[in-house]
Order: sequence, then C-alpha cells, then structure tokens
Amino acid sequence: MWTFAWRNLATRPLRTILALVGLSIPILGVLGLFSLSGGMRNLVGATLSQIQGAMILREGQPSPVFSDLPADLADTIRKVPGVSAVAPEVWKIAPSVEGQTLFGKTVKGLGSGGGSSQVARSLFDQVVIQGQDIVAHQGLKSAVFPKAMIKGPEGGRFLLPEDRGKNRVVISSKIAHDYPDPKTGKPHKVGDSLRIGNERFEIIGLYNTNSLVLDGVALMDIDTARKLLNVSKDKVSSIYVEATDPAKIDQVCENIEKAAPGVDARGVNEILSNFGDLMDQLDHFLFATVALALMVGVVGIINTMLMSTTERFGEFGVLRTNGWSRSNVLTLVTAESAYLGLLAGIVGFVLALVFTTVANQFITSTGLKLTITPWNALGGLTLSIVMGTLGGLYPAWKASRLVPMDAIRLGTR
Amino acid sequence: MIEVSDLHKSFRSGEGWIEALRGVTCHVPKGRFAFIVGPSGSGKSTLLYLMGALDRPTSGTIKVEGFDLTAMSEAEQNAYRRDKIGFIFQSFNLIGNLTAVENVLVPFLPRGLTPELRSRAEELLKDVGLGKRLSHRPRQLSGGEQQRVAIARALVKDPVLVLADEPTGELDSRTGDEIYRILRELQARRQTTLVVVTHDRRFITPDDLVLEIQDGELMNGEAKEPNGDLARVASSS
Repeated sequence: MWTFAWRNLATRPLRTILALVGLSIPILGVLGLFSLSGGMRNLVGATLSQIQGAMILREGQPSPVFSDLPADLADTIRKVPGVSAVAPEVWKIAPSVEGQTLFGKTVKGLGSGGGSSQVARSLFDQVVIQGQDIVAHQGLKSAVFPKAMIKGPEGGRFLLPEDRGKNRVVISSKIAHDYPDPKTGKPHKVGDSLRIGNERFEIIGLYNTNSLVLDGVALMDIDTARKLLNVSKDKVSSIYVEATDPAKIDQVCENIEKAAPGVDARGVNEILSNFGDLMDQLDHFLFATVALALMVGVVGIINTMLMSTTERFGEFGVLRTNGWSRSNVLTLVTAESAYLGLLAGIVGFVLALVFTTVANQFITSTGLKLTITPWNALGGLTLSIVMGTLGGLYPAWKASRLVPMDAIRLGTR
Repeated sequence: MIEVSDLHKSFRSGEGWIEALRGVTCHVPKGRFAFIVGPSGSGKSTLLYLMGALDRPTSGTIKVEGFDLTAMSEAEQNAYRRDKIGFIFQSFNLIGNLTAVENVLVPFLPRGLTPELRSRAEELLKDVGLGKRLSHRPRQLSGGEQQRVAIARALVKDPVLVLADEPTGELDSRTGDEIYRILRELQARRQTTLVVVTHDRRFITPDDLVLEIQDGELMNGEAKEPNGDLARVASSS
C-alpha cells in the first residue's frame, strides 16, 4: 500500500512539486533560523568560556558599556570574603577609529557594493575601548587578552605599568585589518599610529582571541581611556573579580551583591544562563514567525490532497468494492500526505544546507558559524512529516467517508 | 444463492426523493448466468450494487449464500466484498499507476502480497489472453484488454458471485463479443454465479436467467429457466 501511495504522488508531479515548495520553504526557515540561533549561542559560549571570573556592573545594565560605578567600590569588593583579585575597568564604544564611525562604515559598506554581508560585518566590527587598571589586571590569573597576544615580534607586547597615562593601545589583528593605515591601505602593525577619536595612539601589541565579541576591544590604560572618553576619575564602568576558589565564583558573586547593594555581580554561569534565556525567547519568537509560514504550507497540502482525492472518487470506489475498508482508504491518503511532508522536509533540509554553506562564506570574519545540527535536521524532518500528515487528514477522512456506490458513480461522471 | 426480498431503495434528489427500487423480489440460483435488463434509470445498477453490498437498501433483504447482507456490519460487508464478490464495471475502473498484475491484486494490497497471490494473478491474466501484458499500465492497453484485466481482478479472489455493470458498454461489438466469450468460459469452468446489467440483449442466450426492470419494478414476474420451467422470480409487490 505504501508503494501505491508513493506512486500516486509520482503520477501528479507538478502538483506534488508545488505542494513540496509550499512546505519546504517554511522548513528551510525553521532550520535556517535555528542554525542562526545556534551559531549565536556557540559564539557567545566560546567567548564567555574564556572568562573565568565575574563582572560587577550597575544593577539592570546589560553590558559594561552602559554601566557606571563609583571607583571606590573596588575597595569595598576587595574586602568581600573569597575575593582574590579586583580589577577596575572603563568600557565605552570608541568614538571613531581612523575617522570611521559605525554609521559611516556601514554606509561605506553599502556604497561599495558589499551588500548585506558587509553591513553585518560592519555591525560586528564596532570597536569598544577597554581602559584597564594595568597594575590590578597584572594580578589576575584568568585575564583573557594577555594570553591571546600574537607570539613573536609582530605581536608586540601587552600593557605594562609604564604605559600608564600614555596613548598606547593593544588591538586585535582583526581591528588592525578592519581599520587599515589610511596612507598605505595595509593592515596596521605594531609601532604604527592609530587614530581613535581625535587622539593618536601607538599600537604596542596585537592579540587574537578568535571571538567576535572580544576581538572588537581596544585595550589601554584606564586613565588614558577616561581622558579619551570623558569619564570622570571617580567612575569606572565595571570591576572584574576573581575568586580564591574559581569553582565558588557564584557564591562570591552573592557575597558581593550583599556587600554592595545596587550592583549586579555576574559569574560566567549566570551570564550564560541569562543569555540562554534570551536566546530561548528569541527561539520562541522565531518559531512563532515560522509557524505562520508552516500553516500556509499545511493549507497548501490540504488543498493539494483535497484536489487529488476529489479527482479520485472513482478510484476509491473501486478500492472499496474490492474490500478496502474506510481505514485502508484513510491510511492510503494519509500516507500520501506524509510522504509529501517527508519530501518537503528533505528538500527543506537540502536548501537549508545550501543556505548555511553560502551564508557562512559571507560571515566567516564575524566569527559566527551557521550549522545545522543532526537534532535540528531530525526535528525539521519530523515537523515536516507531522505537518504533511496533518494536512492530509481531512482529505483522507473525506475520501474514506464515501459510500462505495456513490464513489463509483461520482468517479464515472 | 441470491435471495432478494421486497427490496426498496430511495435516494434524495434536491428537495425530494427518488424511488430507485420499489419492492423487488427475486432469486438467482447458484452457478447461473443472469442478466438484469431495462431502460436507463430503471434501477438495474442500483439492484446490482445492492447485491454487492456497495450500499444499503432503504428496506427489504438480500441474502447471498444464506448471509443477509442488510444485517451485516460495515466490517463484515468489507470482508464480503473482499472475499466473495468480484466486480466488473463499464469503464473498466483500473488504477492508472498500477500495472496489469498489480491491478488484479488490488483486493490484497492492504494485507500485503505474497508470491502465491502474484502467480495466481499472472495465471488469470494468461487465462484472459494477457500473458504478455503483465507489466503494462492501463494507458498502454486497449479498452478490451483493460476490461480483461478487470475480469481477472474480479476473479482473483475466486468469488462466489461476479457482478458486472454494462461490461461491454464502452467497447465495440467485436470486442464485446470477445469479453462475453471470456466471461461465459470462465463462468462455466468455475461455476461462479454471474449477474450482468446490460442494455444489449444480443448477448442473452436462451439458457440465461433474465430479470427485467422498469421504473424500479421487476417486470417479468416469471423468468424462464433453461429446462423450460419458470424460475422462482417473484414479481415486485
């Protein structure tokens, strides 16, 4: 019977293909959106996994870029039990780099014909300044950037106490590449001069974390950053904290929040959890959007199967006269629509593979990588089969309800 | 074999009802070749379909080999059609995407096919002269060949009763003769009861039982048996 059902689809190729397109596009949407969501999770997870300590921010602020805290809070935190190191930081979005702002770079990307991929890159390319208390940061065990310095003379060196108060900066090789020397057009190297806002900075080191988020940071002394970004001496954006026992960082965060009301102490686990919740909500939103497209696809299947069954009343009559029961006819028609769902799922999966492969060519520099996991593929396929089957149920029920004599007569008219 | 008693069948048509059969009573003995004749719309096909449990009568009873079709559950009717009855239609009603052999095996598709069933179907197709057309699709066969496939399909389950509705209605007279030759030969060999609805009386022989219907009523209250006796064909009430 299953071979028979399969052949019934094959004998009406155009209609089958149209129904396939109707359902495979939403399946492509589901797989594409979830691969994007998964890629973002992986990207942020890879970034956060490099951070061992906790970030202290003003309560309710999503990022250190938007946070401000009193500078003397560092002294309070140092006294909290379990805290081993405290490193104040100033974070702000760079005013401009080599004369280019985020807006200007995005418009330039569009103007140069770079298209949406260039726009996406420009949005991720935004440089963020981190001014760090150099001496305090030297006391950290889990500092990310010093460990990511490029080896050899071309990597230069990391910030040292003698760099305090001086216009010296450590940047990622990505920033060096994205904001090249305006005179030569070549990527910046150690010893070059980099214009940030209206100031010129000497590049003393290059790092590479391979993280989209971290590779957008330009590092300098905290007082130099305050001067560049107009931050007063009694303010910091955030304070990076390490625990004596890294495994107890969550407990230390709780202690800090008790000792300093109004601050939010976030360990990596909490940040990951919050990000996971955010991504879950995003997934729900994406799924709700795609669900609408899925419904349209199912309506397409219902329409196709209704047309098909209406044309085949005579055939159902013949089957019933030959002893087929109502449930046999129901199974036959439902099997046809389930096959349609299966085919749509496979087509959607192949389209999604092509889409992610092509998209990855354009976004590789962002660090984001779209992948379709086996679970996503299986979920998409299952969803497609379920949708196809549901779409066939009503036509199948209608076909199975026919009185054999009426079916024969309707079929021979 | 077939006992029809005071059979009524009404259909809704628009606002009103059409009485297709009005109290038909008749008896078809086992192993007979019987014809139901009459003008269009007289109720011939309705009577045939009711004998095949393709619908239920409004009132009256039909018994085949002692089993009351009107008292059967739907599942029992399905089994009856599957195991006991073969149908042959005017427009052949083969399934376009199945081969000749597969069309013959249609009754068995839900339960799965076995090599024995397949060889039985092939034998039957050889019997009706289609031994070299086993894998052909209906569109690759002539009308006469398609009807021969339909005959094989009707006989593959070795039925006690074969019901045929205008089996030569869409065939030229020469092909029609050939179909009747095959039907008579198979019926004689298997001793199957065969009831045929037709407009064309030239296929009726003196040995056949004839049920003549007009306006839903049986007109020949007496039908002639081959030995000259009167068959037990009751008039409509």
